[in-house]
This record gives sequence, structure tokens and C-alpha cells, in this order.
Amino acid sequence: MNRLGMMVDISHVADKTFWDAIETSEAPVIASHSSARALTDAPRNMTDDMLRAVAKKGGVVMVNFGKGFVNTKYVKPSPETQAKMDEIRIQYSGDQTTMRAKLRELQGPPPRVPLDMLIDHFVHIAKVAGVDHVGIGSDFDGVGGQLPEGMEDVSKLPAITYELLKRGFSDTDVKKVLGENFLRTMAEVERAAKSLQASGEKPSTAKIGAAPKN
Amino acid sequence: MNHWTASFLLFLFIGCSLFTTEDSQANDAKLRERAMKLHREAIVIDTHNDITSPMTDEGFDLGTRDTSGKVQTDIPRMKEGGLDAEFFAIYVAAKYAKEGGAARRALDMIDGVYEQARRHPESLEMAGASDDIRRIHKAGKIAALMGIEGGHAIEDSLSALRQFYRLGVRYMTLTHTNTNNWADSAGGINNPAEKRHGGLSDFGREVVREMNRLGMMVDVSHVSDETFWDVIETTQAPVIASHSSCRALTNVPRNLTDDMLKALSKNRGVVMINFYNGFINTEYAKPGTPAPAKPANAATMDMLIQHFEHAIKVAGIDHVGIGSDFDGVEGMLPGGMEDVSKLPAITYELLKRGYSDADMKKVLGENLLRVMAEVEEAARKAQASGAKPSFAKINQAKAP
Repeated sequence: MNRLGMMVDISHVADKTFWDAIETSEAPVIASHSSARALTDAPRNMTDDMLRAVAKKGGVVMVNFGKGFVNTKYVKPSPETQAKMDEIRIQYSGDQTTMRAKLRELQGPPPRVPLDMLIDHFVHIAKVAGVDHVGIGSDFDGVGGQLPEGMEDVSKLPAITYELLKRGFSDTDVKKVLGENFLRTMAEVERAAKSLQASGEKPSTAKIGAAPKN
Repeated sequence: MNHWTASFLLFLFIGCSLFTTEDSQANDAKLRERAMKLHREAIVIDTHNDITSPMTDEGFDLGTRDTSGKVQTDIPRMKEGGLDAEFFAIYVAAKYAKEGGAARRALDMIDGVYEQARRHPESLEMAGASDDIRRIHKAGKIAALMGIEGGHAIEDSLSALRQFYRLGVRYMTLTHTNTNNWADSAGGINNPAEKRHGGLSDFGREVVREMNRLGMMVDVSHVSDETFWDVIETTQAPVIASHSSCRALTNVPRNLTDDMLKALSKNRGVVMINFYNGFINTEYAKPGTPAPAKPANAATMDMLIQHFEHAIKVAGIDHVGIGSDFDGVEGMLPGGMEDVSKLPAITYELLKRGYSDADMKKVLGENLLRVMAEVEEAARKAQASGAKPSFAKINQAKAP
């Protein structure tokens, strides 16, 4: 991927895979849709150490808008409700649609999280990784519509700009978050590929059973 | 006749025959020279070569002359053979239809071709259009093109078909020896394929139409007779038989009947003669008799030329070309056509039989270039007149 100029995305990978990718990659990496674990303790989010590692690599973390990744005050269901939820999950394990409908019936419509929680993630990552290493990775149409209030669809993106300005980000910093950071990372990945190929790096013919040892 | 007269006549006879032999030797040398010159000038195209498999699986390097005798194709011998454009077969074996991974197998093979072009930029250049072939020929290089062999490679997805086009694939053989989910195959030698659709299914017709719209040549080699006729009925652009010979001379299902040759001619398409002994030996599978269980393991150059001549006679000079099948027939090739360096022999033999220089250029490459250009033009017209990509699924194909 480095040789080709394809960005390595460490969203979704295990923590160990993250650190191996950081160690291996010769170009900046991205987290295309992950938020901050210090605020929302989901394995899909990134710890502060990871945020700093991506920054050091020249990469960028693109904040995911999904409720499960940005809700900083996730309230656990009561043991009673939890037991019923488990029962439904087992009973309808072969039928995801019915399972989801039954769960919704049990819990009622999920409340939207406030936009502030989403903005907190942007602010936290800008603080820990630096304002040069944060961007937008909405996950629209991938989270079952579970999105913050005021960020229900792609038309609402200007709210990010408004909220960040309100929190004191400069025009320049907001432009970075909106797109310039990503453009810089992409350009660096392209440059790294060009220089690898210019230095004679050949397409790899490694097979999975016989990957070369480092 | 007295003694003296007889001696005189004998002397005259010997003298004449000596003179005639010398004369014919000189003529033959001249003919060879003319053939070689013409062959070098002409754009020589071969539409089927299976060297892609060793390139992809065994790290075979096309730039190195092979001295093991195992393969028939490498760049040094392509140059000796005056070959200007090769369609590398993106061959997807029937087993992938059963086991899965057919599209990925095709991707691996496509990468194998691109890798050779990357390694040998001074000799080989990827081409995706008839104009590319002319330009690359002018630049003194060999144009590398790709044809998918086995429609199961698209895994019943028109989206996958479109992406293969985007990667540079310019023909697709609708089946290999296996009937797939939308087209019946002619099967293997003495191993008839299942006849499941009576030719093309509705989705199969949609595949043909989408290929027309894209500008990917439809290849009827390997398909069943019923599929052939369904293709002829459905296609709105000329089609090719990328590596098939004449059934009237060698009675195997992989060859085309005279009616098919005529239909291909009417369709403005082209039959590319396969060199495989089993498809060209005229003694082995005579018309009207079933082919013996064991395929012919030998054939002569004369038999190969007979197939060219027959196809030319029946389909016309504008509808015949070269589809060698080098590296796809386990070396079972006629004497004098052992590898790609021997291609000029075709030119020599056909000139010897009285074909003109202009006719030869057609057979060597211009016919295929014409078909390719017409297929490109048909696609341009279809798209300009608003034909949109088809999103038909295999179970809900539009009725024709």
C-alpha cells in the first residue's frame, strides 16, 4: 500500500494491529472513521497514545459521528432490561432485521446524543494529536441513523464549522479540520509512493503462506 | 525414335529440370524474402496466448529467452516472429466456478500482464484500443492486450464486467469448457459440457449487450453451438472467435461450422485460426464422423494452412486471423510452427498459395483491427444515444 500510494486505514483494527501498522508503514496512516477512546470507551475509538502515534506519523484521525462512538455518557441498561435484550439476541440470532425491531420495541426509540458530545471529540483530538491531525469521517448511512442531534444527515455538516468557531478555533484551524489535514496526508502518501518507486521498489509477489520475514 | 534423338531428348530433359530446380529455388528465396518483408511491415496480431499462466504462477519473465523448450512465448521470440500485438489470455479455470475466487483469479492474471509491461517498457506496452495498437507498432514495441477466457470470471456481476473493462480487458470468451450460470459451453475434448440454458440465458444476453455497450469484444470460442447462434442474434457489434478453426476440416465442437463462418462474416466479425494439432489435423476427425477419443498429437503446416484457406473461402478474406493458442496446448503444434518465432511461415505459405500482399495484411492483423475499431465505434454510438450501464441481476434479467 505504501509503494502504491494507497492510504493505510487503521479504523476497525485491533490495538495490536494498530501498533504493527504504525511500526511498519513508511507513510502517514489514517483512521478513516474513529473517535477518541478517552471520551467514549469503545474499542473502535483511539486511545490518546494512538492519537499521538498517528500525529507523529503525519497522519490524521477522522472523527466518526455514530452515537456509539461519540456518546460520552452512555447509560447501561438495567440488569432486567439487559437480560431481556440478551434473550432477544439469542432468539433472533438468524434474523437481524427482526432482532433490531424487537430490541427497539423493548428500549423505545434511541435518544439522539447532543451535538456537543461530537464536538468534544474534535476538541479532544485536536488537543492530544494536534490541530493538524483531525478531520471528518462521518460514517453517514453506516450507523443505522444513530447520529447526534443537529447532525442527522450530510446537509448538516456546516454545524461542525459553526461549533468549532464558537469554541475558539481560528479560520485556519477550521479549514485544516474540514479538509486540509486530509489533503496534506494524502499528498504525503503520494510522495512516499513516488519516492519508493523511484528508489526501485518493485511490486511485491509475496504470498500469504510465505510472507517475507522482516 | 533413334538412339541419337533419344539421347538428345534425355539431355534436353535433364537440362530443363536442372534449370527448373535452380529457377524454383531462386523463386522460393525471393518469395521468402518478400514474405519476411511483408510480415515485418504488417501489423501482426495474435488473439490468444496462454503464457499468462506461467507469468502469474511461476514468476516466468517474458523478457528472457526460454531455452528449456517448455514455453513457446517470450519477448525475444515474439520479436523474431514479427508479432506486434498479443492478447494475453486471462484464463480462469473451470474449478474456480465451483470453488469460488474466479474474479480474484482474473485479477491475479491481469496483474501478471501489467507486471511484464512494467518490467519491459522498452518492448511491451499495455493497449486498450485499436489506435493504441497502431501507435505502439509505429513505436517499434509490442502491444499487450487482455482477453478473459471463461465468463464465470465475472461471477454473474455486470459491475465486475465493467471493472474488468476498466482494467483493460478487451474481449471475453463467454465460457471455457464449463457451462456457467448464463451460457452453455461446447465442453472439453470428449467431455461434453452440461447444456443448461439451450444457449444463452436472459442474463447471458444481457452480458452480451453490456459488452456491446462497453466496447468489449464478444468471443464465441469455446461456447456451444446454441450459444453461438444466440450471440449472433443478440449482439449489436461484430464478434470474434479468438481461437477456433474449421469444423468442415476437423470435426471437433471447438471449431466453427461453415454456417457459423458465414454468420461471422455477415456479422462483420473474424475467426482467429487456432494452431492446436487437435483442432487442425484433417485426418483425425473427418466430417460426419465423431472425433476419436485420443486427440491428434501431430499435424502438418499444410493442414494449418488448409484451415486458413477454408475459412477465407467460406467467410471471406476480411474475416480470418491468427489465434495461435501458444502455451495453451501443451506444445501440440504443427511442424514448423513450434513457437511464436515461427509466425512468418504463415505469411510465406499463404503468399505461396497466391494471396496478395493486401490480403495477407488483413489476415495478419488488419481484420482484427477493423473488428476492434467497429466494436469501439458501436460502443461510442450506444453510449452517445444514452445507453446506460445495466444493473440486471442474474435472476431478474430483462427479457430481450
